[in-house]
Amino acid sequence: MRAVTDNKAGNSQTEIPKVQIQGLSKSYPGDKSPVLALRAVDISIAEGEFVSIVGPSGCGKSTLLYVLGGFLTADGKVLVDGKAIEGPGTDRGVVFQEYALFPWLTVRNNILYGLERGPLPPDERARITDRLIGVIGLKGFEDRYPRELSGGMKQRVAIARTLACDPAILLLDEPFGALDAQTREVMQDELLRIWLETRKTVLMITHDVSEAVYLSNRICVMSARPGQIVDEFKIDLDRTIPREQLFTSDAFNKTRNEVWISVRREALAAEKLNAKV
Amino acid sequence: MENTANKRALQIRSVISVLTIVVLWEAVARAGLASPLFLPAFTTVLAEWWTVCADGSLPSDLLTSLFRAFAGLFAATVVGVLLGIAMARSRLVHWMFDPVIALAFPSPKIAFLPIFILWFGIYSISKILLVAFACVFPIVIGTYAAASAVNRVWIWSAYSLGTSNLALLFRVVLPAAWPRIFAALRVALPVSLVTTFTAEMVGGGGGMGATLMYSQRFFESPTVFAYILTMLVVGLVLDAMMLKIQQAFPAWHGNV
Amino acid sequence: MQRSDRRSVFWSPAGRIVPLIVICLIWQAVSAAKLVDPSFLPSPVRVGYAMYDLLAGREIRDNLLVTLARAAIGLVLGSAAGIWLGLMMARSERFRAYAAPIVGGTYSLPKSALIPLLILWFGIGTATTVCAVFLACLLPMVVNTSQGVASTPRVLVWGAEALGTRPREMLLRVFLPHALPDIFTGLRVALGFSFVLAISSEMIAATNGIGKLIFMYGENGAYDYMFAAIGCVVVVAFLADRLLLVLTGKCLRWHESTVSQVAS
Repeated sequence: MRAVTDNKAGNSQTEIPKVQIQGLSKSYPGDKSPVLALRAVDISIAEGEFVSIVGPSGCGKSTLLYVLGGFLTADGKVLVDGKAIEGPGTDRGVVFQEYALFPWLTVRNNILYGLERGPLPPDERARITDRLIGVIGLKGFEDRYPRELSGGMKQRVAIARTLACDPAILLLDEPFGALDAQTREVMQDELLRIWLETRKTVLMITHDVSEAVYLSNRICVMSARPGQIVDEFKIDLDRTIPREQLFTSDAFNKTRNEVWISVRREALAAEKLNAKV
Repeated sequence: MENTANKRALQIRSVISVLTIVVLWEAVARAGLASPLFLPAFTTVLAEWWTVCADGSLPSDLLTSLFRAFAGLFAATVVGVLLGIAMARSRLVHWMFDPVIALAFPSPKIAFLPIFILWFGIYSISKILLVAFACVFPIVIGTYAAASAVNRVWIWSAYSLGTSNLALLFRVVLPAAWPRIFAALRVALPVSLVTTFTAEMVGGGGGMGATLMYSQRFFESPTVFAYILTMLVVGLVLDAMMLKIQQAFPAWHGNV
Repeated sequence: MQRSDRRSVFWSPAGRIVPLIVICLIWQAVSAAKLVDPSFLPSPVRVGYAMYDLLAGREIRDNLLVTLARAAIGLVLGSAAGIWLGLMMARSERFRAYAAPIVGGTYSLPKSALIPLLILWFGIGTATTVCAVFLACLLPMVVNTSQGVASTPRVLVWGAEALGTRPREMLLRVFLPHALPDIFTGLRVALGFSFVLAISSEMIAATNGIGKLIFMYGENGAYDYMFAAIGCVVVVAFLADRLLLVLTGKCLRWHESTVSQVAS
């Protein structure tokens, strides 16, 4: 198991990486003794990078994201732009897998929610909201409630709601995990398009290896619990070609296979772990 | 994860809360901050409680009230479960009874007490019937919901194995519906107690409620408090017993 | 739950009244055949006359309004207090730790048993009734509100935090809206309780109110008026419940299971 410290700046414009995580450890109180979810994790993310973390279920990848989001405290350093974070903030937008939206607000009001706390005047907020609704392709659905939307539509609104605050970093916790296969593919294309447009720094948790290879320029593989980064892959694919071509290309499949083998190794190790416990 | 340490902590806190109230009560009463008419000291109430227990008046009243409550609850259960199942099995029966139930369910059943007194007098029978009337609603509704939800596949399997209708009732429908029916019973129990006590308070005819009103009329505060505390304890004990029964006969299948 | 295609006419509002009409007809037949002593069971016609008389006259209207006012005040105050208590219990561990046993304990006490105590303290009158209703409405609201708040998914809270919601805004912006469906469920229970306690306390001891009226008619032997008054109570309680359901539907348009429960 190689613990990898990545100090390469992706775009080599900034000296300090956008996100620096050093020696992160997190434990939970368990039934009999504390459970170590993460052990001494080191990750750096450069500005504009799209990093995915893959790994077996229960390995702590979501925990890492929650700590970065400021929802959980942990031992170790978590720095954004060189400064330690102090709880959640609008600089780090989050999209969760479920319950991402406020069910009691319409699509429009969900997106407006974050804006209302900002310094912008009302007409500016309305403009941004309308633009975002157009970006996610839900014109005409502004006054619907989340319960009237399909899973994919809900996640679109969740993404729009997060983008409304213009966060520098996007944290995505298995955002398409609850969607069916077709919708997932559509949403991946959407996300890729939005990312190529906005070039935000993204950290995504997923267990779909193809998804990670398709979207990210770097993949970190996490081990079984206690989670550590055991492998890393830089992805350099031509994302301008259509999905069908990309997915059937040799470059894509070679990378995908490498990552998959790495994840599978960890998944088998996790099974052994669970069998013992 | 709730474990024994948490339960222990909860019990300790319950005891602390109750003790605090009791101590405050005693202190306020003794300090003369309230007239003994309004707030007799806890110890006085306790002494009075002991007296009415020893001379048999409280136990006899309690027995009367409990008898009425349980008799009414029993009648309500028999009628309610049968009717609920009938409504679930026959759309005609459902159609016939649903409007009556929907209309009467929100109404305060105590308002019907004068009718029962008119028909059956002021002693036990009128109260038992009123209790039955009040309790039958949650039981019918709960049973209907439970019986309707019984998995069709189970019923069809039983039919295809040659089970007769009556056997079907006892061997498939009732066991499957039991958890929800029991939950409805747990709701109906406090209803039976409230209705009994209130009916006794309004209509007299002996029992805890009647004595309670009697004591109030003669400004016997310690007795009033003693009776109310007894009702509280009895309610707690009965609910705890029902919980134990529920846990002793858990649903034998995964989820209803 | 029913396949209502062919039988939908039976379930329309008109169709649902039919069984009630049938009951009235049976009642009339029994009375006309003199199967029971008419003083024990006045015929529907006489009760109908009595009801008309009551509605035309001021007595029932005044008394009904008095009872409804008492119930309403107790309901509003009790619900507000209950919601506040429930919010506190769900948000503060320590508060809940000490309040929960008390809340749990009072669950088993029939609130109408407190009426004699209230009479001892406040005498016969409106204060006693309002207080009884208040106490009865507290518990369902506390329990339901606290449940509604406690069941808020943590990712909902986290999402709100990531969007810049300040801690003091959380209650109003996240927890309260999420708890709203449970709060309305509690309100429906509290509404029922408010009627029961109002009428109970008036029957036990009051100078006016519909509970007292019913009791008085009974004592004076005016049984057709007694039946009529009881009938009015049933109808009013039913309508109040329906009104709450409509209100619930309007406020909870966004909720997944907005279809209001019909048979319960």
